[in-house]
Amino acid sequence: MIIPLLKVTNLSKSYDNIVGCKNISMSLYPGEVLGIVGESGSGKTTLINCLSGNLEPDRGKIIFSINNKETDFLNISESEKRKFIRTDLAFVHQNPRDGLRLNVSAGGNIGEKLMSVGYRHYGNIRSLATKWMNKVEIDKSRIDDLPITFSGGMLQRLQIAKNLITSPNVIFMDEPTGGLDVSVQARVLDLIRSLVNELNLTVIIVSHDLAVIRLLADKMIVMKNGTVIESGLSDQVLEDPQQEYTQLLVSSVLHV
Amino acid sequence: MIEVKKVNKSFTLFNQNNAKITVFKNLNFEVNPGEIVALKGPSGIGKSSILKMIYGSYIIDKGAIIINNKNIATLSAQEILKLRKTSIGYVSQFLKVIPRISALDVIMEPLLNSGDNKNNAYKKSIKLLKDLNIEKNLWHLSPLTFSGGEQQRINIARGFIKDLPYLLLDEPTASLDSRNRDIIINLIKAKSNRGVSIIGIFHDEYSRKKLNVREIDLNIETKH
Repeated sequence: MIIPLLKVTNLSKSYDNIVGCKNISMSLYPGEVLGIVGESGSGKTTLINCLSGNLEPDRGKIIFSINNKETDFLNISESEKRKFIRTDLAFVHQNPRDGLRLNVSAGGNIGEKLMSVGYRHYGNIRSLATKWMNKVEIDKSRIDDLPITFSGGMLQRLQIAKNLITSPNVIFMDEPTGGLDVSVQARVLDLIRSLVNELNLTVIIVSHDLAVIRLLADKMIVMKNGTVIESGLSDQVLEDPQQEYTQLLVSSVLHV
Repeated sequence: MIEVKKVNKSFTLFNQNNAKITVFKNLNFEVNPGEIVALKGPSGIGKSSILKMIYGSYIIDKGAIIINNKNIATLSAQEILKLRKTSIGYVSQFLKVIPRISALDVIMEPLLNSGDNKNNAYKKSIKLLKDLNIEKNLWHLSPLTFSGGEQQRINIARGFIKDLPYLLLDEPTASLDSRNRDIIINLIKAKSNRGVSIIGIFHDEYSRKKLNVREIDLNIETKH
């Protein structure tokens, strides 16, 4: 019996009287990619912000089981939580400018993340940073350049490198290809997919783009008005949707 | 062995006046190891739906589909993912891949995902590309730029690269010229000789004959 890496039970979060997400329950197993889809305001971002520790939910349980160690995410001390977020979780923002420091060099951005989990040796940090620049297809000669000199696609790849370099156990991605040109999207998508396969990453990815979900996610959930209305294997939900809203969503996709 | 027992399937189209389409009721058949079963019947009768239900990408409304003593109808998403990885190969009608990924990588991926080492996966994939008569200068290009027949062969390679006990083939010989069709037929035969249970949709009499299939006529098997 495999234990889920992440188990969420009845998670709810409201903003005053407005429902963010309501009674969300789900499990995620090691190496799985979970897609979250739904229209704007359906609670996708609220959900991953709660799961990644950016927001405090009102009710519910979040249990991470990593290396046979259970972490009751909502019932640990603030310092334990900070440490857990730093070492075990990663968050790739839609806008790479939210996940990077633009006035610090590319290598510095990556190095900072390594130092946050205890790396001290400058040579090691630099060589690891170089290796990861290479992995995300950024020329290593750009290591000392400021991110402001990077294109949108490069910035996103840099943000991905920064997040993955510490081998986090769960990676959250909020519309990682959302702000990119279509031509650049494919490249970032391809990169995410090959890293997921190579490193056996566990990922929760929010996207309104069903094609992105189809290509990246093993499982998906569909959200509407803060609740999960349908969930299952991505290809099953997309090919044989059981709910009216999911059918509408799937049938609204334009095919080129 | 694959057992399809008393399976019902229908679709409810909520956004089209809740139209309910019944595909089949009380469908029963089985496929033994080494056997090739061909689903027959006019377009729209549900041939692809059967393959998709076995693969878990369509919900089984009622009844059971048993593979490896497991009932697909009641498995959780991660159990289906695992069963696919260890047991079921599926060649869809059309190739779906990310732009930019080379044909070779597309074929190697299922092996790498199951933990095969890169060198091994590479060798196996190259051999299959050669067997499938794909020109060497195409190996490192994205199959999205290929012709229909070439794309189909890449799709087949991806489905055939692993040694799995069950194979689902959705029109594997469509859009191929006669020479390439024969190549595919021989590959399917080889799988069957190794004891693989195969269910396919073959649009042409020639392939069905060459493969010595057992036909299941859905016009007769499914009562509407």
